[in-house]
Amino acid sequence: MAHILIVDDEEAILFAMGQYIMAQGCTVDTARELEEAQALLSNIRYHLVVADLRLSGIHGSEGLDLVGMVRECCPSTRVIVLTAYGSAEMQQEAIRRGADAVLHKSMPLAEVADHAMRLLGCAA
Amino acid sequence: MRRLLNDILAPEALQIAFQPVVELIGDRMQLHMLECLTRGPHNTNAARADVMFEYVRRKRVEPTVDRACILLGLHAAASLPGTPDLSFNTHASTLGRDPEFPALVVSMADNVGIDPSRITIEIIEHAHGWDGATFDRALRTLRSLGARIALDDVGLGHSNYQMMIDTHPQYMKLDRYFVHGAHADLDRRAVLESVAQLSRKLGARVVAEGVEDTRDLAPLSDAGIDLAQGYLFARPLSAPDLIASGWLQPSARIAAPARPLAAFPA
Repeated sequence: MAHILIVDDEEAILFAMGQYIMAQGCTVDTARELEEAQALLSNIRYHLVVADLRLSGIHGSEGLDLVGMVRECCPSTRVIVLTAYGSAEMQQEAIRRGADAVLHKSMPLAEVADHAMRLLGCAA
Repeated sequence: MRRLLNDILAPEALQIAFQPVVELIGDRMQLHMLECLTRGPHNTNAARADVMFEYVRRKRVEPTVDRACILLGLHAAASLPGTPDLSFNTHASTLGRDPEFPALVVSMADNVGIDPSRITIEIIEHAHGWDGATFDRALRTLRSLGARIALDDVGLGHSNYQMMIDTHPQYMKLDRYFVHGAHADLDRRAVLESVAQLSRKLGARVVAEGVEDTRDLAPLSDAGIDLAQGYLFARPLSAPDLIASGWLQPSARIAAPARPLAAFPA
């Protein structure tokens, strides 16, 4: 069973996306802050991380920090970055740091979940 | 946005448990002290202690959370019968960044009727980044007030030779990595013996952490290590469960277990 971490500072997104992904038979942890996600990643191995680019931090691109951390500490973990406002440069930077996909937050959650499952299939 | 730190510091959110450190005397054992352990609130990511303290370090709020953990631990300990010695985990960064911490600990202990001489501060260290002078002063103050110092997780990360010299601990808590499986591993036995010998020269006692297997008692004994902690003896227990367990009965000397215990038999 795949173990997935969802990181977003919006409670509603965490809940709804968690429901979609759990419906696919995965177990889900959620985090609302960069440091909370980092603490989980330091102690738990995930198959996939789905992270918002902006996490109410100072520079507004905390999701990029998470991508870097995942690539460093658990290279086999897949990463999806979600962005509502990110520029093309920001998206390219996410890919450069090792994100497997950058998706727009307006994408229906069912499609995000489909992307996640396809990535996990690739990882299997 | 609701932050995990707010959950951790909410009233009555932190959970306190005590795990016995036992002194092995031949085939008998007795309580040496209790380590006070803290878990974050249920139904949050902080319910796992490793996640909670990693989060706390990344938020750089170790002094705030360490103060809360010790305050709650002292209050829980005050309800225990007898006068067991107590140890409390404290980040090195707290000692190095919070000049008021030592006096505050002693004051909090006084408030609940616990003599500072019963207290051991277990230094957990993960990264440098504090004021060395403040850290040294904190250790001196704690010692002058009667508290003892332990170095936690010896053998791993930053709990290294430099910290042994800098902290002059009364206890060195050897990480379970070196203890578990020592009966069948010459390399681990070599580390046990080396740390035990070094500790004797530095005037400290070794506590073997994570003892879960009776077969690992022999290498501890061979190395001259007579303090141990782990599920073989007792899991972390709430104050009521600890009282019910029998560990706190006066002068209790109990046969060392032949197999791991779910909880100490009353």
